[in-house]
Parts: sequence; C-alpha cells; structure tokens
Amino acid sequence: MAKKFDVSKMKEKLAEKKNGFEKTVTELKANGFKKNAHDFWYGKPHTAEPGGRRLGELYEDKTGLLKHREWRGVKDTLYYMYMIWGYNYVHMITDILKYSNNPIDFIKGTWRYRWMGQTYLPVIHWFERGLQGTRGEAMRASAWHYRAMVSASIQQICNFFNADTRLHNGAENDAYKHSIYANETTCGTLFYPFMDEGYKYIPIEMIPYFVTCHVNSHTVLNYIDAVQSIGLPGDPCPMCQAEAGIFVLDDVPDASPIVITCNEACDASVSTSTLQDWFADKPLFALPIPMQFDDPLVKKYCMKEIEEMWKFIEDQTGAKFSWDSMVKRLERQNKLQRDEWEKWEVASKTNYYPINGVAQALFRIFSTQYGIQGDFWEEASEKVKKIMYKCVEKKINPFPQTRHRVIAWSCAPLYFSNWCTWAYNCWGLNVIINMDSLMFDMEIRTDSYENMLEDVVQYHMWAPMRRMAVGGMHHIFELWDYQKKFNCDMVAMYDQLQCKGMQGVHGLFEDEFRKRNIKAFWLPHALPDSRTVSRAEIRRQINDYMSTVMHEEPLDPSLLDFDDSMTW
Amino acid sequence: MKKCKCRIAKFFLKFLGIFFLANVALFVVFFFDLDGKLMFNVVEPFLKKHYDNMERKDTLKAPYEMNKFPKYDYET
Amino acid sequence: MKDLKHLIYFENLLQEANNELVKQAKADGKRAIGYTCYFMPEVLLDLPGCFSVRLRAPRCTSPDIATYYLSGRVCHYARSLMERALEGGYNFLDAQMATETCTATCRFQEHLQQKHLDSVDDMRIIDNDDFFCEFTDIPFKNNENSYQHFETQLRAHVLEPLNKNFGIDISDEALRKAVEEHNEVCRLINEIGEYRKLDNPTITGYEFHVIQLVSLACPKYLILPYLRETAEEMKTREPDLKKNFRCKVVLAGSENDDPDFTKLIESCGALVVCDRFCYGAVESRVPIVLDESKSVLRNIAEHYLKTSNCPRFMPQDEMRARKQRLAKLAKDYHADGVIIASNKFCEYWSYERVIDTFILQRDFGLPVCSIEKEYINSASGQLRTRFQAFVESVEIKHIQEGK
Repeated sequence: MAKKFDVSKMKEKLAEKKNGFEKTVTELKANGFKKNAHDFWYGKPHTAEPGGRRLGELYEDKTGLLKHREWRGVKDTLYYMYMIWGYNYVHMITDILKYSNNPIDFIKGTWRYRWMGQTYLPVIHWFERGLQGTRGEAMRASAWHYRAMVSASIQQICNFFNADTRLHNGAENDAYKHSIYANETTCGTLFYPFMDEGYKYIPIEMIPYFVTCHVNSHTVLNYIDAVQSIGLPGDPCPMCQAEAGIFVLDDVPDASPIVITCNEACDASVSTSTLQDWFADKPLFALPIPMQFDDPLVKKYCMKEIEEMWKFIEDQTGAKFSWDSMVKRLERQNKLQRDEWEKWEVASKTNYYPINGVAQALFRIFSTQYGIQGDFWEEASEKVKKIMYKCVEKKINPFPQTRHRVIAWSCAPLYFSNWCTWAYNCWGLNVIINMDSLMFDMEIRTDSYENMLEDVVQYHMWAPMRRMAVGGMHHIFELWDYQKKFNCDMVAMYDQLQCKGMQGVHGLFEDEFRKRNIKAFWLPHALPDSRTVSRAEIRRQINDYMSTVMHEEPLDPSLLDFDDSMTW
Repeated sequence: MKKCKCRIAKFFLKFLGIFFLANVALFVVFFFDLDGKLMFNVVEPFLKKHYDNMERKDTLKAPYEMNKFPKYDYET
Repeated sequence: MKDLKHLIYFENLLQEANNELVKQAKADGKRAIGYTCYFMPEVLLDLPGCFSVRLRAPRCTSPDIATYYLSGRVCHYARSLMERALEGGYNFLDAQMATETCTATCRFQEHLQQKHLDSVDDMRIIDNDDFFCEFTDIPFKNNENSYQHFETQLRAHVLEPLNKNFGIDISDEALRKAVEEHNEVCRLINEIGEYRKLDNPTITGYEFHVIQLVSLACPKYLILPYLRETAEEMKTREPDLKKNFRCKVVLAGSENDDPDFTKLIESCGALVVCDRFCYGAVESRVPIVLDESKSVLRNIAEHYLKTSNCPRFMPQDEMRARKQRLAKLAKDYHADGVIIASNKFCEYWSYERVIDTFILQRDFGLPVCSIEKEYINSASGQLRTRFQAFVESVEIKHIQEGK
C-alpha cells in the first residue's frame, strides 16, 4: 500500500525550516559584516562564546543525517568537498576497477551480501563522523588515514568476490585456489611467504564484521541476533557473537579452500571457531597463541605452531614458502612501523600531531592486522608525515582547543569509534593515543630465518587484544608508562561490558586511579552492539564526568545532548 | 577566422558554464548531504528489504561429519 | 537404597575448602596446593609432601567484594572463589598452581599472585607468608609440539617451584608414587561409578558427585580409606525395588562443583548416570598409564592433553570428536538424554552448548536439555521447570517409540 502523504507533518517541517532560516538571517544581521565575512572565509570559531560553531545543530533528529554539512571556511570546505568527499567517491569506483577481476562480480556481491550493500554505500558518512569539526592539517591528514582504510577494504572485498564460488556458479576459480581464509585476528604478517605466488590472505570477518560496525552499525545487529537465535546466550563477547553470526546467517563468501583459526584474543574467539568450522566445513588449521606470552619458554612452542601452519598451507594449496616474499614485505612493514614511531615521537612531545583519535586508532589496528598487501598504508603514511612535518616546521597546532591530552585504554566501541572526534569538539578532549595502536609495537628482524621466526612469534603474541586486554597484568598496567610517554593528563577507560579479561581487572584499575590521583572516566560499551549502551549514553557519561568531576564547561554546548539513535 | 575564434570562445564559455553549473550542483549535493539522505532514506531501506526477504540456506542443516578431516599434524 | 555409610561425612567435608582432612594433612606437615582447572595435573600436586585442593567456594551466594574487583559480568564461580579468598577461606593454601585456561579464573588467580610490579599494587589476599602463585601455559592442542611444550611448562612452573619453595621431591620415583596413589583413587571412583551403568543403578548421581568431589578437594592419602570402604559397601548395596527415576541422563558442561545441582536434576526424575563436566570424573578419573619409553612427566603431560574434552581445544578433528565422545558416553551409560549446562558468562561452554544441542539431537538422536546456570542453583524454580519438562519429553519419546 502506498504511504499516505501526511500534510500536517509536511507543514511542521516547512515551518521548522522557515524558523531555521529566519534564525540564520537574524543571526547574520546581528553579527555584522566583519564577523560574517570572517566566518565565511575561515568558518565559525570553535568556542562556547556566542557566535561559535554549533555542530550539534547540524544533525537531523534521530537519523544523525546532516541538515547541511559544516561550513569550514572557503578553503577547508572546498578541500573537503573535492579532496575528501569527491576524491573518495571517485576512488571507491577506481579501486573496484583496480582490484576486481570483474566489476560485475562486485555488483553481484553487493546484491548477495548484507554486510556489503549496507556498508559500502554510506562510507562517506563514516568519514563525516570521524572528521567532523576538523580543520586544516588535522582534516587533511586524518582523511588520508581514512582513505587508506577504504582502499584496503575495497581490496579485501574484491578478494572475496573474485574468488567466491557463489558468484561464479559454484566454480572454484584460480582466485579461489589462491585465497587463504583466516580469522581476522590472525595477523596478515603470517601469510607474507605465499604472497609472491599470488596467494591472498583474506581475514574472514574483517570486512563483514569489523569494518561494518564502524561504517554502518545497523548491519552487525543482524549477525548478533542470528547467533543468539540458535541459542547462544547474550553474554559472550559480542564481537565473537557477530563473527559466528555471519556464518549462521550464511553471509560468508565461499572464497577459499582452507581456513585458519586462532585463539586471539580470548576464550570466545576459540569457541567461535567451533561454529565456524561447522558451517564452513573446510580443512581447518588451529593456530594457538600461548597465553603466558611473557614466559620465554613459550616461544619455541609458538614457533613450531606457526611453522606447522605454513606446512598446512603448503600441503593444502600447493603453495611454497618463499623467504624472499616474506622478507620483502617484512621490510616494508618495518618501515611502516618506523614511520609510526616517528609520528608517535611528535605526538608525544609536541602539539603538532595532526591525526585525530579515531583516525589514529583505526589506521593502526587495520594496517597492522591486515599487513602489507598493497601500497595504501605506505602512501597514506608518507602523506601524513609530510603534513605532520609541515605542522612541526610552521608550529601549527592542528587541535588548538585541546584542554586535555587523553590516552584511551582497552577496546574501543566500534559503533562509536568517533567518540574521540565528538569529545574534542564538545569538551576539548584530544585523544593522543590508544591501546590498540600500541600493540604490534616492534620491528621484525630479517637477517636470518631463526631471528625472523622468533620476532614473528612475538609479533603474533602482541596481537590486539591479547597483549593488553586479555594478557597478563604487566601489560595491562603499561597504561601508566604510556600515559607518561605521551604526555597525557587524562585516561579514557573503555569498559567493554562483555570482555571478561578487562572486566576482571576493573577493581584494580579503580584502586590505581585513586592511588595515583589520575583523572579517568569510564566509557561503557558493548563493542559492536549499540543497543546495549547507546552513543547518547556514552556521551552522557563523559558529559557527567566533565561537568561534575572536572567542573568544566563545554566548548560546543550543542553537542551535549542530541538524539542520533538511528544513525549509521 | 573571426568566426572561428568566436566559435571557440563560445564553446569555451559554454564549457565554463557547464563546468560551473556542474560544480554548483555538486556543491548542493555535498553541502546538503543529499548523498547521505539518498542512502539513508532510499537505498538502504530498499537493500534491507531485499536482504531481509532473501532466501537463505538453513545453515543448521549443514553436515557435521565426525571423521571428515584428518588431524593436521606436521613435522617441522 | 540404604544410605552410604560415609555420605554425611563426605557432605560435611564439602562444606568448606579448609575441611577436616585438609587441616589434618596440614597438621601432618604437608603443603596445600590449590588449583582450579583440570589442565593443572592434580597428580603433580599430590607428590609426597604436598596435596592438591581443587578450589571450591561452597555456599558463596553473594560475592560483593569480588564483584568490585572482577565486576558483575564475569562468571559467578570465579567471583565466588575470589570472595572466599578475600574472606580468608584459602589462607591455608601454600601455593596456587594457576592456569590461564579460562579468562575469569585466570583473573582470579592473577589477583592472588604477588607480581612485584611498579604498575599495580599486589593485594596479599592469601595471608600466608609461604604462599606463592605460579602460572603454567597450557596448550590448546594435543599434538607432539603441545606434549613437549606442556612437559617443559610443568617442569618449569610446577615441579621446580614446588621443589625450590618447599623442598618437594620431584624425582621420577616420587612421581611414580604419586601416579600410583592417583591411579588408586581413579580405580575406586571408577569402580563406584560403574554401578551407574546398571539398569537400576545402585548409586545416585548426587552420591557419586559428592564422592568425586571429596576426591578432588581432600588429601588423597586421607580420603582413600573412606573411598575403599565405600567401594566395598557398594558391592552389596541393593537398589530400591521400584525405580525412583523416570529417565537417565548424562550431565555435561562447564564448571560444576555443586552436588545440589545434581540433586535438583534428580528430584525432577532424571537420574544423572554420567558426569562429563569440569570437576566430573569422566576425564579426571582415567588412570594414568605409564609408557616406560618416555619420562614420567612426559606421560603425565600427554595424559592430561589426551583425556580432556574441554571446548578449549581448537583442532578441527578434536572439536568434532568430542561430540562423538559425548554421544558414546550416553550410549555406554544407557542414558536417555543429555543435559548440557553452561555457567553464565562461560564463553567456552556457551558456544559448545549450542553446537552440542543441535548435533547430539540431529546426528545422534539424543534428546538434549540445554540450560544456562549459575554457580549455586539449588533454589532455582526455573531450572526445575526446565528439567521436569525435559523428563516429560523423554518419556513421551519413549512412549512414541513403544518402549
């Protein structure tokens, strides 16, 4: 039945628009020419004073869509329009042409897989949420991190669809035979030895689950519901629930002859594999990470397991371990790591680091986990370094309204990873670094096979979230060292309600915060599930802390409370 | 010659005009988030409906053979 | 049936961790070594000079302080252990041999450990100057690499610390002696457990659960005489003339050291004839067979990895085989169905329960009752309703099959 046209609602909307327009006109009149011209050229200032920008007023109620995009001044608005919005739309198409064997498969895949259709199209809004309020170098540099992530995502999507037998009438084509499925928590580094021969590491859940949550948080709820519908209780880690749920809902491409599973990060990851094995029904190799990874005795065991995995791949696919292939990519990975250290040096010692909290965290976790399978990470890193050194040379502070330098610890809410952007805009909380960025924090030696293997083991054991979230207390409480190193005066403590590892140290953190007199706020969330703790609730918790404990006033009061319950 | 120059100028002006109008249109789409609104209000609901109504395999009927796969143990 | 002579005594022993026999062993100068998981080989903690105590926190219903430290979102078992430890209930322990075999108990044990870090204060929960807590890395697979690794770990993190701290003899001779004693416990428990296979069993699931638990929670050398006597008593025990159960079940699942839970099931008409859960006898009472071509420790390492049915094991063949083994247990014990119980917040068993529920019914034709429970459950009306409904469904199935 056709939807009935609601005249009264339409009238209400028009009246609202009229009011808004009249308000703007009155404001412009009151501001005077000079202020208007200044605002037009530079954008409104980031201040609580009258005449400051009010980003919260840009949102449509509930949907979180923008009534209109932010006017950032002439230069930044045009840069955003052409070099971020337009550039990325164009690249979303050219990347498909670059990575896809047949673009028709891409369309077929979009039609077939929910995570694909619902996620790919709103990508630009994901940029919008992460970059809101940024200006100048912060906007330009952070956008490059996003750009690299989109490119890596498209490559993975194409890898899926190039090989998926469902899109090729059941045929196991060459791409299928050259794909290696592994849990998303099995780092890409482990598969470098086979990449020269054209083998591709496809982290099974990275796109259907992980990226999806960030871009469109609605999608993942289908998967969580699916796995609970077959009897799984609601209390295990929702990440693992969703990872199993995509299998339950038959939404995983059939794109590889084998599967590698891993126990990173926790008990639920191990258990997810039981369901995945059932539904995938393919030869499966289980790769364990030792739990007591600080114990030097576990290294030999782990080395052997990794070597067994390589043998399994050789045995099942006919691929051959190539030392050259490994070294080539490890060296590029090491360079990326050194770049990151360079950036951290600037971030820790100056106010000139141009990457915002969300762009820092996502780029780092994505690049280290996926590994070197293209040049997008390096390209973005080079561009960011260039912008960063410009900031250093010209003493540009990309986040001039910073009131507190924040370190974010534990696992972040995937559906609200852009909370950092909001927190800066609203309260001047600048998230400098986060726990996820600090894992995989090492170079891998390439001078001999033994050294390489020993380091790869260490790298593998320092995976997110094993090292800190579920690892031994020594690593969890490295927080204080990093807080000092990055010169942060405040801690944002993520409280993933279903992470047993972090819940199990809750009290000790409380004790230490009090003992050390550290300003810290807890940020409850349920990783991908926005229904458990909404974004509004997260914001409320921070607002309460900032006003009642810190006795501060918001920089942008319009961001304190708004309803974005339906937003992507 | 003059006619030719005039034609080129006309073409150039026309091109500029189209370029300008295209940019204005693009700016309108960009500034008023029309792409987001289209995705949210039209494309996504349409796709959701499609995915919700899609025929899916009953995964619970998938076989679970006990001895289908060997123990993957390798000498290293 | 006539009451078992020592049942009340056994029940009393289970009222607290520091029970009469533990106190007696301590008075004998022996060291009490705590542990929580099957993967910590009990037999190594029963070397001459020390004894194992598998930790329990009976009657702990309100773990308030533990909830502050571990939060209310980890399993009640771990929180109960923590609460009992904070109350001083484990101060008799001389050491805790810890494993990170599940996150929740790992965190509990980390709180016990003196870590000597600058970054976090140690809590000194166990008020005993000699106390130490040592972690062992437990493999996720049962392959050659894992056996080697486990042996190395057990030597470095169990035997050597016991020797270094308490002068415990860790020679092969001492190990053999411990294995011998362990095997006798296994033999007696299995002998008693065999009566559950009878058409009309002469032992209830509750009684067996109590007997199995005392064998885990008390010093072996002190409990053995009682077990011997009970095994003898069982030989002549007569069943009730009329069967007082409506069906037989295998109880499988996660941590369960609460015999009242078994009692609850049996009060609904389902006799528990097999106990395949953490703290159950299916794995822990398989005797250790020593292969003389390998070291004793290697034998022990292999034994514990080979016998475990824990959903923590990751290899594909193992994941699938354990469903088959569970179905076989139902057959061996003539069970009519399976009750799979996972503790709330137990991630391993939450998943395993789901897949078991489907596969056992679909591929093995076994009725399954799938439930989620707390650490202490005896008063649960909801569970009672579930079990009653399950028993009825099994009976209806029997009627339909013309049995």
